[in-house]
Amino acid sequence: MADEVELRALLLKGLAGEEAAHRAFLMEAAALLRPYFRNRLRAAPDDAEDLVQETLVALHTRRDSYDPTLPLTAWMYAIARYRLIDFLRRKKRRGDHATIDDLEIGDADPQFEASDARRDVMRLLAKLPEKQRRAIELVKLQEHSVEEASKLTGYGVSDIKVSIHRGMKALMKLMAEENPA
Amino acid sequence: MKTDDLIDLLARNVEPAERPRWRMRLMLTLLAGLAIAIALVVTFIGMRPDIGTATWAVLLKAGFSAAAAACVLPLAMRLMRPGAPLGWRLAAVLIFAGVSLLAAFVALMGMPSEARMRAWTGGGFPWCIVLIPIFAAPAAVLMVWLARSLAPTRLTLSGAAIGALSGGLGAMAYAMYCPIDSVAFVTTWYVVAIAVCAALGAMIGSKLLRW
Repeated sequence: MADEVELRALLLKGLAGEEAAHRAFLMEAAALLRPYFRNRLRAAPDDAEDLVQETLVALHTRRDSYDPTLPLTAWMYAIARYRLIDFLRRKKRRGDHATIDDLEIGDADPQFEASDARRDVMRLLAKLPEKQRRAIELVKLQEHSVEEASKLTGYGVSDIKVSIHRGMKALMKLMAEENPA
Repeated sequence: MKTDDLIDLLARNVEPAERPRWRMRLMLTLLAGLAIAIALVVTFIGMRPDIGTATWAVLLKAGFSAAAAACVLPLAMRLMRPGAPLGWRLAAVLIFAGVSLLAAFVALMGMPSEARMRAWTGGGFPWCIVLIPIFAAPAAVLMVWLARSLAPTRLTLSGAAIGALSGGLGAMAYAMYCPIDSVAFVTTWYVVAIAVCAALGAMIGSKLLRW
C-alpha cells in the first residue's frame, strides 16, 4: 500500500491533470479508506463501502482544498472523518441508532473483500440537472474529450468543465442524502 | 456500483485542477461584507453627528475592530482546509480577547471609582452587543457561501470563526455610529459583541456549512 510520499506525488500529478496518476491516487486512497471505515462500522460493511465511495467523490471534488505544504494523509483522513461524522448524524436523524450503538473499533474482517456499494451511482446521475448529466455522460462515461463534448452539445469548453465539476459535487450530495435500504 | 467503476468515472479525462484563487475570493468577500455593513449603519442608524471632530476616536475604534478581525482571519482560513493543524491560530484569538479585557480593567482602575460604571457601560445598556451582530450578518452570509465551496470539516469551530470574523467587520462599521469613546467600553463590549457573533456562528455553523 502506498505511503504518504507516494500518495502525495500521485495526487499532485493528478492535480496537474494526469489521468493515470489520479486514478492510481483514488485506488490507493480507496484501499486505505476501506479498512478505516470498516473498523469503525463493523456492524455495517455495506455502509462502509458506501462511505468509501462518498469519500472518494469528496476527495476528487475538493482536491483543490489540499495544501501541498501539509501532510496529505492528514487531509485525506480529515475528509474521511468528516464524511463518517456526517453519516452518523444522518443516521441519527433518521432515528436509526443501531449502527451508532454497534460502533466498534477493531481490525477489519479480512474475509470481507467485496467492494460493491448498495447505492447505484448511475441511478443518481440521472437525477442531476440535464446539462451536468450530459457533460458527465459524454466525458466521463462515453470517453469523449471535453472539446468533443463541447461540439456535441454546443456548450463552451469551460462550460462543460464547470458542469462536470458542479455535477460531481451535486452527485456527492445525492449520495449523502440517499437513504440506503 | 463497484468502487473501481466509480474511480474510473472520477479519473477519466480528468482536468488539471484550477488554482483555487481563494485568498483573492476571501478578500473580496470581506470587502463586500464590510461595505454592506457600512451601508446598513449609514442607512439605519446614521453616522454620529460629531464624526467631523471625533475622527480619531472613530478610527481608533474601527482599528480595534479591524485588529480583532485580523486575529481571527488566520484561524478562519486554516479551518477551510481539512486536516491542517490550527497551531497558534486559536491561541491568537483567545489572547486578543484576554488582552482586551485586561485593558478594560486597567483603564477602569485608573479612574476615580465613581466614574467607572459610566465609563464601562456608557451610561446605559451597551446596545452594540445587539447591533454589531445585526450588521455582521450579511458578511457572515457571504462567508458561509464562500466556505461551502471550500472544505471545512470542523463545522462548529468554522462557524464560530466565521461569526467572529464577520463580527469584527460589523464592529468596524458600527464604530462610525457608536457615540461612546471610553477605552473600557470599547475593549469590553466590542469584544463581547464579537463573541456573541462567534457563539451564533457556532450554533448554526454545523447546519449551514454541511457539504
